[in-house]
Amino acid sequence: MAKLVVDSRTMANPHAKQEREASQSAGLSRGPRAWLRMTGTYRSILLRLLGTYGTIVVLVFMLIAFSLVEPGTFATIGNFRNILNDMAIGTIVAGGLTVPLVAGDFDLSIGYVASFCGLLLVGLLSFNQLPIPVAILVVVAIGAVIGVINGIVVSKLGVNAFIATLGTGTLVVGLNYAYSGGIPLQLTHSREFTDVAIGRFWGVPHLIVIMTALLLILWVFLNRTVQGQHIKAIGISAESARRAGVAVDHSRIVAFACASTCAAIGGVLMASNLGSGQVTAGDGFMLTSFSAAFLGSAALKEGQFHILGTLIGVLTVAVGNNGLAMIGAPIFTQFLFAGLLLVVAVALSSIGRRYGRDS
Amino acid sequence: MAEAGAISPPQTPFVSVRGVKKTFGGVHALDAVSFDLYTRDIIGLVGDNGAGKSTLIKILSGALEATHGEIEVDGRPVSLAPPAEAQRLGVETVYQDLSLISGFTAAENVFLGRELASGRGPSMFRLMRRKAMANATAQGLDDLHIEIPGLRTRSVERMSGGQRQLVAIARAAFWGGKLLLLDEPTAALGVRESREVLELIKRLGARGLTIVMVTHNLEHLWQVCNRVIVMRRGRKVVDAMSRETSLEEVVAYITGAKEPSLAMPASTAVVE
Repeated sequence: MAKLVVDSRTMANPHAKQEREASQSAGLSRGPRAWLRMTGTYRSILLRLLGTYGTIVVLVFMLIAFSLVEPGTFATIGNFRNILNDMAIGTIVAGGLTVPLVAGDFDLSIGYVASFCGLLLVGLLSFNQLPIPVAILVVVAIGAVIGVINGIVVSKLGVNAFIATLGTGTLVVGLNYAYSGGIPLQLTHSREFTDVAIGRFWGVPHLIVIMTALLLILWVFLNRTVQGQHIKAIGISAESARRAGVAVDHSRIVAFACASTCAAIGGVLMASNLGSGQVTAGDGFMLTSFSAAFLGSAALKEGQFHILGTLIGVLTVAVGNNGLAMIGAPIFTQFLFAGLLLVVAVALSSIGRRYGRDS
Repeated sequence: MAEAGAISPPQTPFVSVRGVKKTFGGVHALDAVSFDLYTRDIIGLVGDNGAGKSTLIKILSGALEATHGEIEVDGRPVSLAPPAEAQRLGVETVYQDLSLISGFTAAENVFLGRELASGRGPSMFRLMRRKAMANATAQGLDDLHIEIPGLRTRSVERMSGGQRQLVAIARAAFWGGKLLLLDEPTAALGVRESREVLELIKRLGARGLTIVMVTHNLEHLWQVCNRVIVMRRGRKVVDAMSRETSLEEVVAYITGAKEPSLAMPASTAVVE
């Protein structure tokens, strides 16, 4: 029986046979030859497992390794709290970005929206003396409106999301400079406002509480609500979904609104965390969010974006960076690590899927 | 002649298509096509590539709007676009490759766009009742004597082509479609799978559904259809009961070897 499986596998995939013959004739060293001699079935299963669980394996491996090397500094509750606290804002922005990604759309404007919203909030508090909750609501609503505009430009006007959000993002940068003149804004009454991000709730920093709550909301939204189901469907096939009666344009607009709203919340928390309005403080969130979401798409599910995956993506990079800093590795290693991890994880995931389809 | 008509039962048609035209740019994809559909009709819609079959199906399903002409359902003039409106009027469509969402389970596919949910208000606040949907799907497939393992858990991309097609057709029937439009339901299916799909189509016809089936496989057509409509270059060239014509004749009309002797009178045209 097993023999039969192997044979049919080899016949189904002529490359496997070619590779095997090539490796045998070339007389490769033991490792690669053994690897290539593995039957296609086992190799494909291994590759798929590696693609699906690779990121988590890396995460767990790092947690163990850093804990062994630096038990006194890395493996402490205080340090884990720091890791979660430092990654909270990035996770919120990346979690929001995950929604349009699930729908099949890119949003390049999130970083600029975060910067602008943070700055605007400081302005509203300092210049207009708005009460803190009102100012936050106004800023988050503006974020939502930017998202709705993104969605309308993409779905109703039919502009490619990449271009459309690049355009609206640049417009937001323009608004940012028009409002601030390119100069950071100082907070006049700081204490109360910085408490929004820095304060603690039963010993847990607010940032961690807010991150957890928002991720839970996003997860329920995508996985349990009707709207979330429609967003997933259009990400797989917009035309099929449309023909099944799904309001595609509406769903895309909602998805963009989610991303922008989360970016605005990220901007608010950033301003509160920094205690000032920085002109470009949130711009970097765009790239880190994309890498987290893509890294997450390779985790657990086969190349689909999902909230838990995005969290794993952010967490893996955060733990890696923290651990590398703890063992005193120079700062450039953090970038090497994050870049390499992303490329290898996504590559393994797509190779695994290719083998999965074959078998 | 006028009294006898081409279609025997003197009932009112369920759907009437009258003088439907569709142009893309300057191209006439459909040119004054008319026909009536009666309850329990299983119609094979055939024609060469570019004959206008797909355009006709898309108009009936609401995916396209006709440039000219009228469509009546139950004697009332209607507009079938968008697809949701066609569905509301009882028209369900199974497209060749676009009928199912590949990453979704059978149950999720059956309920896509019509999810059971608790709560009110916008769809982002309504929680899906996943168990209820899975149960209803299992029940629905059971009613049609379709057996598919793992319809709650397995995504349809992990199913065979035949199972996918059964799910897609069952979905259309599940929603109480009165007119079922099937685009190439047996294309790319094996012999046994084709037979299962054709059996299902027959069962649905026996239950009183009207079915229009686009196909290139005339053998399959003859197995299930009681009526044939042949399209050629955007026009209807034959509309006959399958027992009154033959496979050879239909092929001749499809290829153009045989032309209709006189301009085909629209079978709906009321003779006064």
